[in-house]
Amino acid sequence: MAHRWGMVIDLDRCTGCEACVVACHAENNIATVGEKQAAMGRAIHWIRVERHWEGEFPNVRVRFQPIPCQQCDDAPCEPVCPTYASYQNAQGLNAQIYNRCIGTRYCANACPYTGRYFNWFNPSWDKPLQLQLNPDVSIRESGVMEKCTFCFQRILAAEANAQAEKRQLRDGEFSPACVQSCPSEAMVFGDLDDPQSEVSRLSRSDRGVKLLGEVGTFPKVTYLTRES
Amino acid sequence: MKRRTFLIFSAASAAGALVDVTHKKGLPGKEMIRFIPETKLVPGVAVHRPGICTQCPAGCGLDVRVMEGHAEVVRNGQAGLLRMGLAKKLEGNPEHPVNLGKLCARGQAGLQVTYNPDRIGHPLKRVGPRGSGEYIEISWEAAIGELTDRLRPLASQVDSSGLVFLTQPLRGQRQVLIERFLSVFAGSAHVPFEFFDDAVLREANGLSFGHYQLPTYDLANSRYVVSLGADFLGTWNSPVAQSLAYGTMRQGRSGVRGRFVQVETRMTQTGANADEWLSANPGSEGNLALGLAHVLINEHLRSAESAASAGDLIEGWKDGLPQYSSEAVAWKTGVPPATIRRLARDLSAHQPAVVIVGGSPLAQTNGLFTALAVNALNALLGSANQPGGLQFSPYAAGFAAPAEPRKGVLSPNELAQQILTGRPSPVQALLVYGANPAFATPPGWQVKESLEKVPFIASFSNFVDETTEMADLLLPDHSYLESWLDHVPESGTNEVVIGVAPPAMEPLHNTRATPDVLIETAHRLGGRAAQALPWKNYEEMLRSTVLPLRHFPGSVAAGSDDDFWKKVQQQGGWWGTTTGQTSKSASRPASFSPVKEQQPEFDGSAKDFPFHFLPFASQQFYDGRNANLPWLQEMPDVLTTAMWGSWVEINLQTAQELQIEQGDLVEVASAHGVLQAPAVPSPGIAPDVIAMPVGQGHAQYGRYATGRGANPISILGPQRETNTGALAWASTRVRIRRVGKNGELCLFSTGPITWGEKQLKR
Amino acid sequence: MDAPKPRQSSGSSPAARRPLRFLLLLPLACGVLGALWIARAEAGRGHFSSAPSANSPVTRQVNSSSGVFSPAHPSVGEALDDFFDTYPTPVQPIAFNHSIHLAKGMKCTACHSGVTRGPDAGIPSITFCMACHQVIATTNPQIKKLAAYAAKGQDVPWQRVYWFYPSAHVRFWHAPHIRAGVDCSVCHGDMSRETVAVRQKGLTMQFCLSCHRAKGVSVDCTTCHY
Repeated sequence: MAHRWGMVIDLDRCTGCEACVVACHAENNIATVGEKQAAMGRAIHWIRVERHWEGEFPNVRVRFQPIPCQQCDDAPCEPVCPTYASYQNAQGLNAQIYNRCIGTRYCANACPYTGRYFNWFNPSWDKPLQLQLNPDVSIRESGVMEKCTFCFQRILAAEANAQAEKRQLRDGEFSPACVQSCPSEAMVFGDLDDPQSEVSRLSRSDRGVKLLGEVGTFPKVTYLTRES
Repeated sequence: MKRRTFLIFSAASAAGALVDVTHKKGLPGKEMIRFIPETKLVPGVAVHRPGICTQCPAGCGLDVRVMEGHAEVVRNGQAGLLRMGLAKKLEGNPEHPVNLGKLCARGQAGLQVTYNPDRIGHPLKRVGPRGSGEYIEISWEAAIGELTDRLRPLASQVDSSGLVFLTQPLRGQRQVLIERFLSVFAGSAHVPFEFFDDAVLREANGLSFGHYQLPTYDLANSRYVVSLGADFLGTWNSPVAQSLAYGTMRQGRSGVRGRFVQVETRMTQTGANADEWLSANPGSEGNLALGLAHVLINEHLRSAESAASAGDLIEGWKDGLPQYSSEAVAWKTGVPPATIRRLARDLSAHQPAVVIVGGSPLAQTNGLFTALAVNALNALLGSANQPGGLQFSPYAAGFAAPAEPRKGVLSPNELAQQILTGRPSPVQALLVYGANPAFATPPGWQVKESLEKVPFIASFSNFVDETTEMADLLLPDHSYLESWLDHVPESGTNEVVIGVAPPAMEPLHNTRATPDVLIETAHRLGGRAAQALPWKNYEEMLRSTVLPLRHFPGSVAAGSDDDFWKKVQQQGGWWGTTTGQTSKSASRPASFSPVKEQQPEFDGSAKDFPFHFLPFASQQFYDGRNANLPWLQEMPDVLTTAMWGSWVEINLQTAQELQIEQGDLVEVASAHGVLQAPAVPSPGIAPDVIAMPVGQGHAQYGRYATGRGANPISILGPQRETNTGALAWASTRVRIRRVGKNGELCLFSTGPITWGEKQLKR
Repeated sequence: MDAPKPRQSSGSSPAARRPLRFLLLLPLACGVLGALWIARAEAGRGHFSSAPSANSPVTRQVNSSSGVFSPAHPSVGEALDDFFDTYPTPVQPIAFNHSIHLAKGMKCTACHSGVTRGPDAGIPSITFCMACHQVIATTNPQIKKLAAYAAKGQDVPWQRVYWFYPSAHVRFWHAPHIRAGVDCSVCHGDMSRETVAVRQKGLTMQFCLSCHRAKGVSVDCTTCHY
């Protein structure tokens, strides 16, 4: 059965704690690049937390906004790829096929959310840190782009489990690492094609908005605005 | 055709053919030997084992994803590959009442403690001078032998053995074990220490409410929350439990959205979430609380009597706090009188409401006054021990209960003085476990100097840090994923929780669990020591302590002791409503008279040092213990997006006046020291405050932390909270000057800081 | 969106291609070697700028581990093998005879027990082998080798026969294939006629896709590459 995976991020719940950021690193074998490379803007975070300052002291406000790949229905990163490494898979996810990627970085240029990251060199782990690596996820080499996959390995594992048990996937049965860790339960993940799912219900909320909605990318991530 | 191959495929083929013939896989002699695996895991299939997070004192339950993998290990002096269960991911234990399956960033990064390349892999004995880092590897047999030989003469002392055990605060059977171990040594001392300790709040809660422990805030049911300086969503108390409750407070109840006001001098991650953010003068928060109480009483919104004994602790309470009129308080705090009145009325109108205090307001010389004032306000609001207010977790007798005010507990400052002066008795031996006071105490406490004077220091640390560097004998502990664990959370739940977890994986290195080392040492010492620790190992000790819980209603139902013990391990602990003894009132000292208004005192004159200096718990490293984890080093600070270093936060306006721009190198000087770091001008900090995250600036803590950034603790003054003696870490004054252009600030986001929410469109 | 066309059909051995390669230009090959060499040197370099280990004896002596793990090829030879999609024949420490075991009625899953449950089929530890070989065929020179490993408390350093280079980014799961009734021999050949296992089938993408298409299961890239 086909699914259309989507996410809802409630900005009224999000506290900006960045548990999602580290959870993503741990789940997806994202390498740390070190101070020198990070200062050159080469740090990789498939999900990041943006902060928007408003006002001047003492009347200051901050709004946090976690930004993973928005998994657009009409993704600007896809048509620009000369090798079809960046494409939309059958479940509606903007996938990156590392084998095909030749590192033109056109997709990174095209993405309005800057959700794509380039491997400027081979990632490395000081031994024995490599023992933390998740065997379910590829290690990307130098010269390829990488991005949020909605923890595709977890989707496949859950589907395989359900298949082995001869049943349908249940809503909330699994979630990407960021959603699973989120201490304030600001993130919800599920099937947008299932009208009963929590994520469908919430994405129809009055507070629901899309990031850069006017660009016409039709993201599958819905933000619920803060109420203050 | 594979990528990159188009143009060069044909050419490279020739070379490929040549190499093909000579390149063989698995030629004998070139491979590492392999040890016989004991794992029963199916390769590639994850199993989940319970654990307990030790990254901060909250004690969240872990769910450790374990998969088979090949690790390079040394066994019996021989290096080889071992197929073993390896922890691959840490998640929250969904059943643990504190964190209910959730985990914070520091908890997630705990994997890198176990796999850290800088872990001490085997016992070491110092051969060079202290601090030189010259060690030789010795066997565990020899190491425990050495420890026993050093302790044996001390055990026979009649009056004062001179043995001191310096640890992080422990909440579980490790505490019991250490106390029993020390009971054999006459006049020995246990010194628990951590930088961000909440001794002031515990003391105040003991006086106001009879509970010498940190509160559990029932935010999920609150409608109005005022927090004075507490970073309760980030680093303070039980952040995951509080974040969960916060999410519910905001959007978890139909038709009700709790409102949240934060008062602090520098915007924390928590403050950034507030509906209203206010800045009050450092040390004036107690005044603000009493100003709010004044409004409540004088506008007859609450009667002074409703605060009961918590109110009696404040001078003038019965008379309606005449000296805390809105105008008077406004003048002291910098918060406008209208705002004070509005806050008080809102607190009264939106019930249940709660006022939280923690962090820097209590790290002033008048911290206890502030805490008692806030407690009285909560009592006046009717929020104490109420849903939607603050509560105290029940505790289990015999499980390292929330400590009663422990008189005579030394601080590292007093310990250092004892070492340096030899009075009241000389310190002969120091054991260090999980504490790093050489990094986390102000220079005026002379901890580092004093360590040089101790005849014998043994450390059980996983890593060589500033304190362990001084040790003569290194007896590395297992990492927490490799250990038997137990932890009794102090707060964050309304149940009695006893977290217990077996090791999630085999040890990677030739390390040994510290409790087991202590038990073996006691057995070798024989006599009274062996009697004090009668167990074969720590597992047996835990089992014997946990088994009596079978007779209380709780999360585990079992027919036999063995079954119970097995199920407790599977669940990661035991939780229930009672263990027979749930609460115990601390007796208020008879001499404690109502507190007068107390002004904060600062180290350094306002003329020479015009700025308040605020070290704050870093979102990444807490008190610095996590600075050696690369994931956290590269995790951008959420407000500044700074990575891999320290920074100095300064008000935007002030920075302009001082011509300091983002990334400039600045020098911050107090009367006690000087440090340099890049500047980050920020709108969220008071004009007279300079703030810096704690955690960086390690002189010795592995490859990722050593020599990185600056340590704000190194310029703090030594002054302490006047009633409790806790370090007043927010009471130092500093001056600042621009040094030069390039402070080497490493930011994740280089864009404008106000990329407003207007981008959000329907 | 079609799959890249593989160079050759799945059945033939790598050796069959060799004569062609000598026709090709040497200078360009040198260029490739140079580039790979540089890439490898790049990968091996630690990138933590203020690593203090050079002047701190503590970190040198205390660390039990050293070295860096990276997806970079460990040798030029392996890089070229990857480049040409050739897999060197492993040299096994013990000449394990598959046909004898299968002829005795053992099932593949007796040893490769993970195959029905997870991604990897797995190889049992020496304890499993010795359960029988304490008493069976103890005079056989290969079994003596096995017993020697056991006596030293070591496991047999078996070499993988089937694997994919990391740059292929293939995440293969055995279990769903077994559940779908795909026989082991489809991918691994008829082991009852083999002694020491060798890579009998090329297991190229073409090979996988032809079967996936025939059975009407997903040929989406992310089914295998993620």
